[in-house]
Amino acid sequence: MKNIFSILSIVLVILFGATSCDKNKQKATGELEIAFEHVWGMDETAFSLNTDYVHPMNSEALNFSTFKYYVSNIILTKEDGTLWKDSNSYYLIDLSKPSSLNLALSHVPVGTYKSMTYTLGVDSLRNVSGAQTGALSTANGMFWNWNSGYIMLKAEGTSPASSSGSFAYHLGGFSGQYNIVTTKTVNFDTEKLMINNDHACEIHMKASPSYLLCNDAVANGANVMMPGARAKSLALDFYSSVVFEHLHN
Amino acid sequence: MGLLYQSELDQIWSRLFVAAPFFAWLFISSCTKENVSDFQAQVPVYFPKPNYTKHVQDFTKGRFELGKQLFFDPLLSTDHSTSCASCHSQTHGFADHNVRFSSGIYGRKGVRNTPSIANMIWYPAFGWDGGVNHLEIFHLGPLTNELEMGTDMNGVLNRLNHNQNYRNLFKTHYGVEQISDYELFKVLTLYISQIQSFQSKYDQYRQGKVNFSLEEQKGYALFKSHCASCHSEPLFSNFSYQNNGLDSVFADSGRGKITKEITDYGKFRVPSLRNVSLTYPYMHDGRFWNLNEVLEHYSNGIVENSQNLSPDLKKGMNLSAAQKQQLIAFLNTLTDYKLLSDKRFY
Ligand code: HEC
Ligand code: HEC
Repeated sequence: MKNIFSILSIVLVILFGATSCDKNKQKATGELEIAFEHVWGMDETAFSLNTDYVHPMNSEALNFSTFKYYVSNIILTKEDGTLWKDSNSYYLIDLSKPSSLNLALSHVPVGTYKSMTYTLGVDSLRNVSGAQTGALSTANGMFWNWNSGYIMLKAEGTSPASSSGSFAYHLGGFSGQYNIVTTKTVNFDTEKLMINNDHACEIHMKASPSYLLCNDAVANGANVMMPGARAKSLALDFYSSVVFEHLHN
Repeated sequence: MGLLYQSELDQIWSRLFVAAPFFAWLFISSCTKENVSDFQAQVPVYFPKPNYTKHVQDFTKGRFELGKQLFFDPLLSTDHSTSCASCHSQTHGFADHNVRFSSGIYGRKGVRNTPSIANMIWYPAFGWDGGVNHLEIFHLGPLTNELEMGTDMNGVLNRLNHNQNYRNLFKTHYGVEQISDYELFKVLTLYISQIQSFQSKYDQYRQGKVNFSLEEQKGYALFKSHCASCHSEPLFSNFSYQNNGLDSVFADSGRGKITKEITDYGKFRVPSLRNVSLTYPYMHDGRFWNLNEVLEHYSNGIVENSQNLSPDLKKGMNLSAAQKQQLIAFLNTLTDYKLLSDKRFY
């Protein structure tokens, strides 16, 4: 019995020693801001809600009152290949809320990063796990109440091309052939991301709501309310417009 | 006490002393952890493992009472007219008050018959079409469905957050200043998770505590051969989606509405038959008023050219009048009077 105790206490001492060592070595961290800018059409004028636009491809007149989408699971990769995963990784970009366009990431380990991976949409696990908080709360109006799953992209507005005068695209789908969850990677070229504990770094992203209808038109149907083939092509077309612009170290 | 000798007293004290750690443990554990097993009856061994167990880990009596208060509170609906209990009534096996379609806000009628919400923790998916994939998320439906309670989540949360009583209760039981959908869903789920039905005559029979009458026995045998392939024991559903031959044209596309698969149109989740004698009218649209009509349907009423009709039902069952009575006698043994009178729920 005594033996066991002494062995145990040695083990404990070693364990404690190890963790406290770890603490001393704990790495410094810094902050990162990822800013999303939205543009319209070929000439990429700044996009805003409640503004009249003409679509560059199908020439429809459109005025958006809502444009919201999820960005999630942000992962940064260092030059040596080590990964850092953002722990609070669900963001709802809502064009009616300017503060939502800047994702603030903190506790990023100091170091040089060569790439960023992010997901447009909400991974399947969170679609099937019941009550959620924060950006994933149902109070954001981004969850279907009769056919469970997140509305990952919601675009609503008015257009004379719709017989009712309005359009609503509620796009989602997290499994099977109509899965729209899309993961993208940005490789930083010559200028790597250098997280430091002095000031926040910035990554600038650009997205174009006009791409939502670049292969489609309100005239083809003013409403999409559930996962399916059209939901998928609309969403993926918009997602293809989401690109990396530049960064500030 | 006067009759005890000093030596005996000593003995008792020393025993108590030895037992002290045990009492301390008992005291501490009874203070810190409210055990759900003291609160609910033992689930029979022939029940499968539930899909939801979180309500057991999170259980406190205070949370249960809060869930109950919300379940009965019309504050959750737009016009303050409808609570969960308006449609899910204990005296009717937690289904509606024997109406075909329930009335929601402003007296609007729903489009589907209200099912019982007993035994939800064993269900793999929710609603007649299985469109809802998690019990916690189900509440979003009635709270935001225009036909049922008609509020949007922010509206509900605003009302709760403006109610000092609820704020205090959520603070006490969930430690939050601001009530969010997360706590609301958790507490409603904790409450309805307790609605469990397994103390019917059928259950007592399975446990060897009572006998079935001859008629009930015959009905049970018929049930096993004619019905149990879909309404499988002990939950009386295998939770598959089937078309039991009600229509040739589907007013409600059922499972097909969710999957958009041609092979799913007109299919509905097999309903549990526990407490079935109380939950009339029957079927997703409440078209049959009593079990006789249901059995008449299975016997001679199956629409044979119905698309996606279950192969088991291609041929009518041709039940005799006596067989129908036997089946009904058996179905009546599924009524759980203990649940109907369980004081925890009213
Ligand atoms: C106006 C009537 C009405 C009200 C109010 C109502 N329900 Fe329901 N409930 C229904 C109907 C109808 C269904 C079946 C819906 C379907 O299949 O489309 C249902 C289904 C359910 C189910 C799934 C049952 C199953 O078999 O899958 C649960 C759980 C549930 N309700 C809980 C609640 C809770 C909790 C509340 C209060 C927040 C509530 N209901 C309020 C009518 C109502
Ligand atoms: C092939 C599968 C299948 C078989 C076999 C079957 N049922 Fe059903 N049953 C269903 C389905 C599916 C429904 C729901 C249909 C709907 O609402 O559209 C249902 C509904 C019912 C209902 C209505 C329950 C409610 O709450 O509304 C009763 C009662 C019922 N069945 C009894 C029986 C009996 C008794 C038998 C045997 C004589 C039987 N069923 C055989 C699939 C089956």
